[in-house]
Amino acid sequence: MLIQDNLVLTRSDPSGMGGTQLIYRLKNYGLSAVNRPQEEINQIHWEVEVIKFKDDTVSSFEVCHTTELADKTLKFYTDKSLNEFIEKSFQYFEELGSLEKMLPQEP
Amino acid sequence: MSLETLRPSPAFKDVLPVEYKDLVEHGPYNNRNGKETQSVKVTDMGKFKEVIEEHPMCAGCAMTLFIRLTYIGMPNPEHTIVVGTAGCGRLAISQASVPFIYGNYGDTNAVASGLKRGLEVRFPNQKKDVVVMAGDGGLIDIGFQGMMHSWFRKEKFTTIMLDNEVYGNTGGQESGMTNHGKVLKMAPRGKFGDKVDALGLAKVAGVDYIARLAPTNPARVARTVRRAIMVAREVGHSYIQAYTSCNIEYSIPTPDVMKDAFEIEKERYGFEEIISPAAKEYLDEVEKKAKKKKSDR
Amino acid sequence: MANVVGSSVCRTAVDEGKPADWVPGGEKQTAVDPMKMFHELPREQLFITGSEAARESMRRANIDIAIAYPITPQSESMQQAGYLYDEGYIKEYYRAEEEIGTFSAISGASRAGVRSLTATSGPGLMRGMEAISSWPGARTPIIMLNMCRVINTPLAIQPDNIEMSFMLNTGILMLHAENQQDFYDFPLAAICASEQVDVTLPAVVSVDGFFCTHARGPVKVTPEEYKLPPRDGWRSAVPAMDNENPPARISRDAPIQKSNFISYHMHSSWQQEVFAAVERSAKYFRKYLGSLVEVVNPGAEDFIVASGCAVSQAREAVRQEGEKGRKVGLVKIKTIRPFPTEEIYEAVKDAKRILIPEFNQAGWLHKEVCSVLYGRTKGVIKNGPRVYGGMTMPTEMILEWLEEFRKEVK
Repeated sequence: MLIQDNLVLTRSDPSGMGGTQLIYRLKNYGLSAVNRPQEEINQIHWEVEVIKFKDDTVSSFEVCHTTELADKTLKFYTDKSLNEFIEKSFQYFEELGSLEKMLPQEP
Repeated sequence: MSLETLRPSPAFKDVLPVEYKDLVEHGPYNNRNGKETQSVKVTDMGKFKEVIEEHPMCAGCAMTLFIRLTYIGMPNPEHTIVVGTAGCGRLAISQASVPFIYGNYGDTNAVASGLKRGLEVRFPNQKKDVVVMAGDGGLIDIGFQGMMHSWFRKEKFTTIMLDNEVYGNTGGQESGMTNHGKVLKMAPRGKFGDKVDALGLAKVAGVDYIARLAPTNPARVARTVRRAIMVAREVGHSYIQAYTSCNIEYSIPTPDVMKDAFEIEKERYGFEEIISPAAKEYLDEVEKKAKKKKSDR
Repeated sequence: MANVVGSSVCRTAVDEGKPADWVPGGEKQTAVDPMKMFHELPREQLFITGSEAARESMRRANIDIAIAYPITPQSESMQQAGYLYDEGYIKEYYRAEEEIGTFSAISGASRAGVRSLTATSGPGLMRGMEAISSWPGARTPIIMLNMCRVINTPLAIQPDNIEMSFMLNTGILMLHAENQQDFYDFPLAAICASEQVDVTLPAVVSVDGFFCTHARGPVKVTPEEYKLPPRDGWRSAVPAMDNENPPARISRDAPIQKSNFISYHMHSSWQQEVFAAVERSAKYFRKYLGSLVEVVNPGAEDFIVASGCAVSQAREAVRQEGEKGRKVGLVKIKTIRPFPTEEIYEAVKDAKRILIPEFNQAGWLHKEVCSVLYGRTKGVIKNGPRVYGGMTMPTEMILEWLEEFRKEVK
């Protein structure tokens, strides 16, 4: 079972390639996990991006390759490894949130 | 008609259709002398109610005689379903008091495969016989693939080819079973290639009971049909190839139809049976039992 | 008697080769009322491919016999059917010689009065089309899964649902699954509707290949210990070809003999009855699926009418428009036959703009919708966007079309 906490949107992948996209959000950061069709079913995998939200809506975000979590698109071949990464990133986002609060605010 | 499922109340006997009453009282459905299978005799033809009587076939048609004999040969017509296809034969077959599936051209052996397996699932304790009866074109040309694969899969039903060596129903075109050189419609310069060796194909495919015959010996036709159906019931597939001349397209004068059958039989259509060891063992067992019963009586 | 020693019979008794104490999976299940299965049983959410959703559907469908010929992208599901046979959830199963053989055989199986399933994709469907179009007239309840695929030359295995248009006028019941969830639910509903006495027709559940069959999505399934009740071969508009009926001349498939013997009247009334039965099936689909259509944002000025995968993309477009404060309506058509004429009309009667996105070149759904709305509404119906040959339909494409549409029709 995939982690349901902080899962803000489950939708058909908007690229139109088929498959499902899950969007997790914790504060201003989150994860996009996409699962696309593969000719060989055993090749189906998760492509995960760390994302940063632009506003309060659930689908307005940009890919973020500057966190310590990931500097590129990640691939996971099992739901278990995806879940482990989601949990790890939730912890990271919590910490990141509190760190960002300590930064001087732009005028 | 299953004899077990449907038993009309005797009180309704008066209002039952005369055909029904005749089939039960003077036909193969009840004329059994305590046997499980029907016991009407070919030699009594004309004295009992047949499963098929009326038909719109051409006068003198040898195929019609063969079809009548086939129904007499069926061990349990009340548990038999016939599958056919476009062609002359189905004009008679569809008039029988045995369910008839008239599918698309050439689909007989595929339909029969699904039907037989379905019946086995639905009636695990009641054998249902499935018989494909179709023409040479329907089987060897358009139905070739389905026929061959049902043979390879050893589907437990019987294929009977009504081989009139021509597409009679569409007006006389040559078929795969037409002899080499024969001039017919769509073969204006004579049939190219030989008559397909369907018996050889059946042998290669591992059909358990194979027979070739002409309707010259009525008792033999009925016996061959019975043997084929019994083998299909218990052992594997069975195939009968019958010469059933088309007196119209081959211009055989009506009074000479049987003369032609005897001549062709002598020349190239002699009675032949090819029986696998498993089928032989089974038939010996069945026929021995039947003989023993007779001598006991 | 067992199969002959040394023979290459591929058919086996269902328990052949299994240990003596083996119990077929199907015998461990309990049959439940379809309404209970569809609406009351608890559901567990899985994240599975469309092919796996089909397998879970088949597991609960009490299938007697499954026959199929492999073709991409259908094979994945039908080899799963093979495993279900091996586990004892399906009683009989074989790989047929090709599609004419497959669809003829499955019609034979249905005529025996047992629940019969087959599946195919684009070119396979076209190959077996003669057989398929003879099923409704033969009044054979059959369930066919169809994983849509390009049929045109040049050859491709990509999703494209043009093949569905070839079935529109055959008399077969047609459902179009949007996603993995539908591919689990729709076959079960289709089986139940098709076997009703006043229906007695085959049904096809189509899904857009790969996008759905070979991709994972959330699917809520009922507990696997429950299955549908078996098909009752005695309950049917016409008798099964089992010779359990009185000796009438039961060539039920042939009220029609040679053309010069036909009562033309008879053939036309037979056809009328088939198409009337299609309409009669609507009440069952309403019961089992809740409705023939799903309407999102009723009363909107802009409406998208779609079926299959196009619904998913449209759904996302509707959501994104909602985020921007624009209300766009969506009609998801679940049943293509029976076509939900009145439901569509009711949903879009006040709409100004109606957009019909499709995964095929011909725009068959557009034509269908036009034919039922013609002269009845004032809305402008736009035929697109349309993608085909495996092209994708990004959400942006629908959004751009909507924007253009608003400029064109003020």
